Amino acid sequence: MLILILLLLPLITAIAIAVIPGISGQLSKNIGGGISLVNFLIFIYGLIQFQKGDTVLLDYSHVWLSNANINFSLSADGISQVLLGLVTFITMVVIHIAGSFDYKQSSLLYILILLTESALIGVFTATDIFLFYFFFEISLIPVYFLALKWGGENAPKITFRMFVYTIFGSLLMLSAIIFLYTKGQTASIQELAITGKALPKNVNILLFLAFIVAFGIKMPMFPFHTWQPDAYTESPTPATILLAALLSKMGVYGLLRIALPLAPIGWNQLGIYIVILAIFGLIYGSIIAIKQNNLKKILAYSSFAHMGLMAAGILTGNLSGTQGAVIQMLAHGINVAGLFYIVKIIQDRTGSRNLEGLGGLSQKAPVLTVLFMIVLLGSVALPLTNGFVGEFLLLKSVFDYNNTLGVIAGLTIIFGAVYMLRMMQKAMFGQLLPANENILDVNKSELMVLVPICLLVILFGMFPNLILNSTVEAAKAFTQLMSNI
Amino acid sequence: MTDYIPQDYQPLLFQLVLALGFIIFTILITHVLGPRLKNAAKDAPFECGIESVGDARAPLAVRYFLIAILFVLFDVEIIFMYPWAVNFLKLGWFGFVEMLFFVTFLMAGFYYIIRKGVLNWEND
Amino acid sequence: MYPILFLSFSGLITLFLGFFQEGKWVKPATILFLAIASISAFIDWNKPGAYFFNMLQVNNFNLLLSLVILITAILIVAISDNFKEIEYAHSAEYYAIMQFSLVGAIMMTNFQSLIMLFLGVEILSVSMYVLTGTDKRNLRGNEAAIKYFLLGAFATGILLFGIAMIYGGVGAFEIDAISGTLASNQAQSLFLYIGLVMLLIGLLFKLAAAPFHFWTPDVYEGAPTIFTLFMATIVKTAVVFALYRILHQSFQNMHLSWSYILAGCIALSLIIGNLSAVKQISFKRMLAFSSISHAGFLLLGLLHVSKTADKSLLFYSVSYLLASTSAFGVLLALKNERTENGRSNENISVFKGLATRSPFLSAVLIISMLSLAGIPLTGGFWSKFYVLTDAANDQFFYLIVLALLLTAVGVYYYFKPIITVFEKSDIQEAITINPIFKIIFVLTTLGTLVLGLFPDLLYGMI
Repeated sequence: MLILILLLLPLITAIAIAVIPGISGQLSKNIGGGISLVNFLIFIYGLIQFQKGDTVLLDYSHVWLSNANINFSLSADGISQVLLGLVTFITMVVIHIAGSFDYKQSSLLYILILLTESALIGVFTATDIFLFYFFFEISLIPVYFLALKWGGENAPKITFRMFVYTIFGSLLMLSAIIFLYTKGQTASIQELAITGKALPKNVNILLFLAFIVAFGIKMPMFPFHTWQPDAYTESPTPATILLAALLSKMGVYGLLRIALPLAPIGWNQLGIYIVILAIFGLIYGSIIAIKQNNLKKILAYSSFAHMGLMAAGILTGNLSGTQGAVIQMLAHGINVAGLFYIVKIIQDRTGSRNLEGLGGLSQKAPVLTVLFMIVLLGSVALPLTNGFVGEFLLLKSVFDYNNTLGVIAGLTIIFGAVYMLRMMQKAMFGQLLPANENILDVNKSELMVLVPICLLVILFGMFPNLILNSTVEAAKAFTQLMSNI
Repeated sequence: MTDYIPQDYQPLLFQLVLALGFIIFTILITHVLGPRLKNAAKDAPFECGIESVGDARAPLAVRYFLIAILFVLFDVEIIFMYPWAVNFLKLGWFGFVEMLFFVTFLMAGFYYIIRKGVLNWEND
Repeated sequence: MYPILFLSFSGLITLFLGFFQEGKWVKPATILFLAIASISAFIDWNKPGAYFFNMLQVNNFNLLLSLVILITAILIVAISDNFKEIEYAHSAEYYAIMQFSLVGAIMMTNFQSLIMLFLGVEILSVSMYVLTGTDKRNLRGNEAAIKYFLLGAFATGILLFGIAMIYGGVGAFEIDAISGTLASNQAQSLFLYIGLVMLLIGLLFKLAAAPFHFWTPDVYEGAPTIFTLFMATIVKTAVVFALYRILHQSFQNMHLSWSYILAGCIALSLIIGNLSAVKQISFKRMLAFSSISHAGFLLLGLLHVSKTADKSLLFYSVSYLLASTSAFGVLLALKNERTENGRSNENISVFKGLATRSPFLSAVLIISMLSLAGIPLTGGFWSKFYVLTDAANDQFFYLIVLALLLTAVGVYYYFKPIITVFEKSDIQEAITINPIFKIIFVLTTLGTLVLGLFPDLLYGMI
């Protein structure tokens, strides 16, 4: 029941803001921020209950389409909990960020953000495959309109490309889902796993490919990533954060929950090739990131590289890969939100997001530099930051899976350090440009976002067991499912 | 009801073939038989020795067509009345009432036409 | 049955109302007549039976179809505005013809005898030929009317020939009798096959399914928008259920023969409809091609004889006609936007800057486009879902994959108007919307969303 409240609260708020006339942008910001905070607190309460072993509060099921045997059933196990936490936290951050910049007609902005939250909570908890698909597809729509309305000059073209791309993938997935559904006569993901296992090999391979394309586009994974860098660059920062921190996780989550369990034989046959693709994308993204000058583009490609590693971890199907991917989803979500925000701050202060237009900002903004450094190190996976645990586990899993691939994937640590530190050095240190003489350090409102993010970076880096312990059961269930094919 | 067997429909098929055949035959045969002569004098527009003037499509009064269409309409209704008259006794009062309805509808249409001024040639 | 009788009379009355006080009562009277006709349908509720010497069949599902058709007609009449646009308009005649055409549509959904089907098709088609050409000064309208009439008459001829052939094969016009004969003896005469194919051709033409779709874009574009809407919604619904009755209730034993023909038509309709729509500039033309692809989807629901086909088709029809009414309605609401040559602008560019000029209209347009594209949260998604799960079997699964991939193409062109809505425009003045339009839009949009969230409300009810 609690989970339903979590899902409906943002939705109802969004509708209320839309329907009640005369709600100004400022008021809707306050309402949206308040509701997202309440949602976060509800999540914390649910988490505490969950730790006590009481899962009843987090399950909900109701008949949705009685004739078609489709249920509106939500449930959150350890892995879902982690993602729920990420969603509720990032939504708060995004609403705060959106409020600190001047966007026109802003009540619509908060409506769209709240709708996205609602849809994402649905994606990460649905246990019915059609419900999952339903949320999977609608989660993109509010973000699309966000990017379309407040994006840059090329936004209509670029966000449209993103939309068509992802819809194409989802529709492939839908055909696979309909096939499974007609075979199994059930829509429960758990029961469909049994159906999937019983299907012949060639069918299984096709299903697996359809799922891989759908989730590969969403993450994005090589070679389906071509929409991503431009979309991240051209979208307004709130949309970029939603895309990079939350929507991309749907792809990884989909691999974990749908692609592998429902087409296990296909995974068994093709898994290694997809891992190779993922690792290739990881290296490829890192190398391109080194050559970039646009801050947002660097982050976009780094994000692309990170997603590749997560995909590879899931696709190995072993415990450390699964746990690593889950913890990395959380870490990457938090870090990337912080990084994109900092880039937006820098861009607003200096009017530039190219490395040439920056430099020496640390002289004028020391606090910002320190915070930037902490988040950045988390992204580089320095020990004692949140990125380290995930990356370590993921690399270990790939190494266990195939030694050569593991070694190649290991290169990512070096590449990551190179492009991240290059960005840091060129933007914050060095010669201060005369144009940037008068820039200000972070203000209170910005600290309110960046300090918690930095604290989380360190907290999860020092105590990774907080997450590892709570997800171990769900991860074990997954690996068990994948081990006996 | 009499049982028809497919063979009874052979005339229908025969008719179809015949109709198609005739059309194709005439199209082809005119090309073969027709004597063709082409020269400048023949292609020139010519009318009783006078240079032709104006458009070949001369305007005609639309009203004439309206009358013609109305005529066809009423003509067809009469055809409908004929079988009714033949079966009048068999259909009885039911048939009579039905025909009254029919004629009422028809007359309503006729009245509408008059009100619309379709038959009014003088004005405008 | 009662709506048929009532509408035949009320149409006549509407004609004469045109003389009364310059015809200002015609539109309200038409809405009233249609409402009474809808209510009169309930006289036969829960009283299944046959009328007119077993030529017309009445049961609850058929009544529901009549209701859907009548209610759609009410919506359409409500957003028409006495045809002030058209020079020398005879608005009373148009409203009367609309009522007559509904008689045909209801006959097509309730027929028991193929003769009645033919009558229905003729009444509906002849009315549509006339309505297409109502804008006499519009050359495109003239072209459309002539094209529609010539091709349509030809198709009707084929349909009639098919009926005759079927009579030759089984010796009966009643669909129950046909299905009984087909169930009892195995070897079928050749006439039956020829007849069925001809009947299918005639109806597929009216449905605008490829390869019988060539008239669609021109006619949709040339006809006044309100009648285009009429064609896209009512005619389609009527024809689909006529096909349903023929294929699923009388020829179900010949499923093997017709399913391949249907599969071919589906594939062609989906491909031609979706791919041709991509390049269109005119909104109406785009919707015409989209209607071809929707015809393909509707046929997909007919492909497999299953118990749920009728429900799926009804759900599809309802969600399609809600979305279409919104889409065409927005175009009608914007008809004061002119192009350089003084005609109403019917290109997609008419929506430019709509987001700032009228957020309400843009929301209506966006939701209708999302529904037509089949995005979740709208009725369009579930209608596709139901149709596809009905059609899903091993034999034709490739069709489903094809349909879904072409839906991605569909997303591409349905989003063109949406993007245009957010483009910046030089014109800033707000658009005033007629209150009746507002009510209709709220109804259709809410309907689309409710179907998207709780599909069981409609699907479970049938």
